[in-house]
Amino acid sequence: MLVVTRKRGESIVVGDGIEIQVISLGRNGVRIGVTAPRDVPVHRREVYDLVVAANRGAATSAADSVSALASSLRNRVPAVVVVPSEVPDAPLRLA
Amino acid sequence: MNSESPDLTSIETRFGHFAGNPRDVVTLVEGLPGFEDCRRFLLLSSPSLEPLVCVQGLDDDRPAFLAIDPRLVEPDYRCRLDDLQRRRVGASLETPLLWLALVHVADGGESTVNLRAPLVVNPERMRGLQLLAGHDEYDTDHRLG
Repeated sequence: MLVVTRKRGESIVVGDGIEIQVISLGRNGVRIGVTAPRDVPVHRREVYDLVVAANRGAATSAADSVSALASSLRNRVPAVVVVPSEVPDAPLRLA
Repeated sequence: MNSESPDLTSIETRFGHFAGNPRDVVTLVEGLPGFEDCRRFLLLSSPSLEPLVCVQGLDDDRPAFLAIDPRLVEPDYRCRLDDLQRRRVGASLETPLLWLALVHVADGGESTVNLRAPLVVNPERMRGLQLLAGHDEYDTDHRLG
């Protein structure tokens, strides 16, 4: 890991078009500004990790309980979601 | 990346056999955190699975998910796209969007749904995103049933 000392207003350039700037230093943390190309997603690490964990969990869903879940949901929810090809000529509208 | 093309009209998934439609392949333009090498996903539905949808990955390890429209779980659920996110899926302000929240069914049968980070798809372009902080009032493991 590259470790550098930066003062307020100073920045670091990463590759082509990514800049990380120290905006201010406070008692509770450092405010950082990130400038990146539109196609580079920028996320807080803990937010990203939370979603990674949730997605990995969701990818291991137990297949044998699914029909029972679907059936109990059908009794509870008022409408069903349709996949786009089932609405051939109109923009997709969900009930 | 796995490059062979499965027959999407008749596809076997972890959640059973489906008749798919190549038009229902959505590209998640920023990928799915945890499964970054899979960008293309086929949306599959069947009468026995409704109101759940199977989201079958087509790249890499082909992860398979279950999802549900979050508004079927919480009728008041509303999520907004900012301008950048809207551009990334090629949607205008008027474009009707498809919302899907990933479901986790545990071994014991208890299930949760990720209402915090939903997927949003522009069905006109079949481009989608997972909104990582889509809805802060909900958890990634909202109790489903």
